[in-house]
Amino acid sequence: MENLQFLLRQHVGAPCEPVVKAGDRVEKGTLIAVPAGLGANIFSSIYGSVQSVLEDRIVIAPDEEQKEEFVPIHEGSWLEMVKEAGVVGMGGAGFPTGVKLGTDLKGGFILVNAVECEPGLYHNIRQIEDNIEMTLKGVKYCMEISNAGKAIFAIKSKNEKAVEVLRKAVRDEENISIHLLPDIYPMGEERAVVRETLGKLLDPTQLPSAADSIVINVETVLRVAEAIDFRKPCFSKNMTVVGKLKGGNEPHVYMDVPVGISVGDLIERAGGIDGVYGEIIMGGPFTGKAVGKDAPVTKTTGGIIVTIDLPDLHGAPVGLLVCACGGDEARMRDVCEKMHGNVVSVARCKQAVEMKNGTLKCENPGNCPGQAQKCLQFKKDGSEYVIMGNCSDCSNTVMGSAPKMNLKVFHQTDHVMRTINHPLYRRLKVSKQVEQLPEGK
Amino acid sequence: MSITAETAKEHANDPAVLCCRAEEGITIQASNLEDPAIFDDLVDSGLLDLEGALTIEQVLGATLTKTCDSLCPLTADVVEGAKAAAAPEKAAEEAAEPAPAVPAAPQAAVGPGQVLRIHIGEGKDIDIELPVGLANISAPTPAGVPGVIPALAADTEVQETNEEKIVRTLTRKHYKITEVKRGPETKIEGTTLYIREGIEKECVDSQELVFDLKIDIITPEDYHTYSETIMDVQPIACKEGEDEVGSGTTRVLDGVIMMVTGTDANGVQIGEFGSSEGYLDENIMWNRPGAPDKGEIFIKTQVTIKEGTNMERPGPLAAHTATDHITQEIREALKELENDSLVVDTETFDQVRRPGKKKVVIVKEIMGQGAMHDNLILPVEPVGVLGAKPNVDLGNVPVCVSPLEVLDGCIHALTCIGPASKEMSRHYWREPLVLEALHDPEVDLCGVIFVGSPQINSEKFYVSKRVGMMVEMMDVDGAFVTTEGFGNNHIDFASHHEQIGMRGIPVVGMSFCAVQGALVVGNKYMTNMVDNNKSESGIENEVLACNTLCHEDAIRALAMLKNAMAGEEVKTAERKWNPNVKGTNVELISNVTGKPIELAKNEQSLPMSQKRKEKYD
Repeated sequence: MENLQFLLRQHVGAPCEPVVKAGDRVEKGTLIAVPAGLGANIFSSIYGSVQSVLEDRIVIAPDEEQKEEFVPIHEGSWLEMVKEAGVVGMGGAGFPTGVKLGTDLKGGFILVNAVECEPGLYHNIRQIEDNIEMTLKGVKYCMEISNAGKAIFAIKSKNEKAVEVLRKAVRDEENISIHLLPDIYPMGEERAVVRETLGKLLDPTQLPSAADSIVINVETVLRVAEAIDFRKPCFSKNMTVVGKLKGGNEPHVYMDVPVGISVGDLIERAGGIDGVYGEIIMGGPFTGKAVGKDAPVTKTTGGIIVTIDLPDLHGAPVGLLVCACGGDEARMRDVCEKMHGNVVSVARCKQAVEMKNGTLKCENPGNCPGQAQKCLQFKKDGSEYVIMGNCSDCSNTVMGSAPKMNLKVFHQTDHVMRTINHPLYRRLKVSKQVEQLPEGK
Repeated sequence: MSITAETAKEHANDPAVLCCRAEEGITIQASNLEDPAIFDDLVDSGLLDLEGALTIEQVLGATLTKTCDSLCPLTADVVEGAKAAAAPEKAAEEAAEPAPAVPAAPQAAVGPGQVLRIHIGEGKDIDIELPVGLANISAPTPAGVPGVIPALAADTEVQETNEEKIVRTLTRKHYKITEVKRGPETKIEGTTLYIREGIEKECVDSQELVFDLKIDIITPEDYHTYSETIMDVQPIACKEGEDEVGSGTTRVLDGVIMMVTGTDANGVQIGEFGSSEGYLDENIMWNRPGAPDKGEIFIKTQVTIKEGTNMERPGPLAAHTATDHITQEIREALKELENDSLVVDTETFDQVRRPGKKKVVIVKEIMGQGAMHDNLILPVEPVGVLGAKPNVDLGNVPVCVSPLEVLDGCIHALTCIGPASKEMSRHYWREPLVLEALHDPEVDLCGVIFVGSPQINSEKFYVSKRVGMMVEMMDVDGAFVTTEGFGNNHIDFASHHEQIGMRGIPVVGMSFCAVQGALVVGNKYMTNMVDNNKSESGIENEVLACNTLCHEDAIRALAMLKNAMAGEEVKTAERKWNPNVKGTNVELISNVTGKPIELAKNEQSLPMSQKRKEKYD
């Protein structure tokens, strides 16, 4: 096993401050860094010794032999235990769960995000199928801590097996129900979950608390239960490894991967890369970023995707349609450069609003505001190709005009979709409406 | 892109088209609809067929009966509960209802904004009589606010000052020249102008960067002579006695002009975007305000400047200064003439102010990017060099001049992009918009602002903001913004419109645009535009002065500004350049004024040059 790297910045807030030094012995569950301001504790996920403490990471050399036991956190109130365990939002955002659950919902809603919207990822759904007991326990803890009156699981109806498991589990739960979602992207965006389950569209700057709710990822819920029941620090992550791997493109779901392990290690565990590849993406196809094999897994890493090679545009002029739902402009340019395209025009979806921190948020995720004008711009600027990073609905709109203008359309996720045999994001063929379960059960 | 409820209201009668896929059963809202502003583009691209589409007003609130994709026009067969298209009748009914309590008094004509608007679409022999105190009719006064406005005393004052006032006068004495010869000294004898032999050497010696200077006397018989690119055409004129440019008396030679041409030592034309080298008779658009008139004699210098300096500021300036050495000697000779018997014609220009009339200002954007894009402002002699300040050195900031200063050669133009659209020195001498506005009894031309067009965008906005402030202080009712050339300078041209327009002042823009010079930027104030194009295909055809501001453009701009000041909206431009728009407008104006307007000829009236044949026509 190679050295493990624990990034000091792996969630929202300032980088953590290390509390170990080179040469220190650490055990599984040893606290190695504490937040400076907003943040969460970071724990070692293995037995070993600290190799070095760098500016942005702590490097730990693992022992040959690893035991299952870990150093437990202190007993305390449930909220204190969640905080001490360093639980953060595991869906990718990485907001400290202890802070999030500290809100008094006064009878409001815990919205359990089991949408797993990024195509190719399966670990959230697998968790429901395999570990509903602990998951449900976590939901109840969250309700109790935040004084919520109800909890709603948001899950796509296509996950029939998981939905069945859930229905059984909540059948006798008076205050817990299920809301089914269509299989379009994005449905798992925080405000999309609020809109779909509670019927309230929030402004990009508003938090779910504006709708008396907390949106919490289904894995985060599990980590909350583990912190309280097992006094387990948050040092492991459920993940999906998928793509151009030896043995095929079926997803490999790994539960409790130690945080700090390298992408390369995980890929090897899944069989290793099969020949020539395009990118290694950490995260999902839409919002993930290309990384190298030595990048370490953090508390928010959900997927590792090895893609096939990208097509070659031989320097053709390209228009980029940047959107809050897909990669940011830098990521779109990255994809375009890898395709040897020449960016001649950049447009941003009308609904993509820039937040104070520079990220984009969609005003109404998954509902298109029209893209014909953007296509006209691309055409005018001399583009031959369009690379879009849009949601299902907007991609459909782009397809309604771009091809008729002789613009050839690529989606930022095409190479991933081709790798995992998922339909490309082009025309929308499914309805945005799904029939709900009777009384959410 | 989807529209807001307000936009939907503005476009209530435009076709309703889905901006995105919408599913069966939804209630149609503004956010489901595409912006009608892009329909023309969409129809052009073959993306949209509006056949049978209901209007936006009709479909709002109705139910979609079938899942439809983006850019699908909403027709009756996919919409349930659409409103009937009977809006106008309904409005009429409402208006016919008696308005209880509120008296239908004159207030109805005077809105809360205190504007009396009289719109006459078409008419003849219309007399409108209004009571003198009309301006003081107040709208229904909100309780507690005294609505009386300073009354009759003000009216009498206005009456008194409403008379025309002559601010200053400029006299032009014309001296006829029929022959230009070389001789031992520079002098004017009768109608013959002699230029001193050997003056060329002094011209060359006076400028470090000038390697050579040749003088050619081009008579009409020699028009089919090859020439290097024409840098400038200048009147030969001088002030009488102590008179200054813009007032007093100016003496000018008729029948002869100065023409500056040149290359660098490597033979590269001193021009940036195209150049007019070639046979003179094929490359000059005769009788344009800035160009030579057919029949005139040219004193043409062919200046050779140091290699590589053609694209730097000092090079072209040296060519102009060297040429001016000759002009200055002619001016001296002209000044010495004591006998008015040689004066063949005397013109008087009055700078008239017309208080009470709509006050307008002309903002002329002149090139100031550096290299040859420079203009010397206010020389001592008309179109001279001495005493003038290059606008580049002035930071291109706006400079106010009187209309008479413009007509008296206060601009010595070095500008060079491109031959067909640049305004040469002679252009200002005969500037049609200044002349038209000055002579129009319906407007009060308060002055002319020259503003340079700097190279860098930040500087463009810097000078443009100064223009805005200056125009604001003038309290004008309307403004013209003109520019020469096209492309880079359109950025500040647009910004001038914005700066003036945002102050609530109607503004009319004039530029060569057509096909090749289509505006690269725009803003919501650029609604009133006059295209100076004359070329057949709407291009910069490298024929000298072809697409510059002419009389026909000036009258269109004046008519447009008058309409704009009266609150009339100018129709949205057609999507593609259509020369017929100009034709129609000229005809309309001519019908109203009763004066026929003869359109200037274009390059098609000239012999076809090899260059034009190969590159353009």
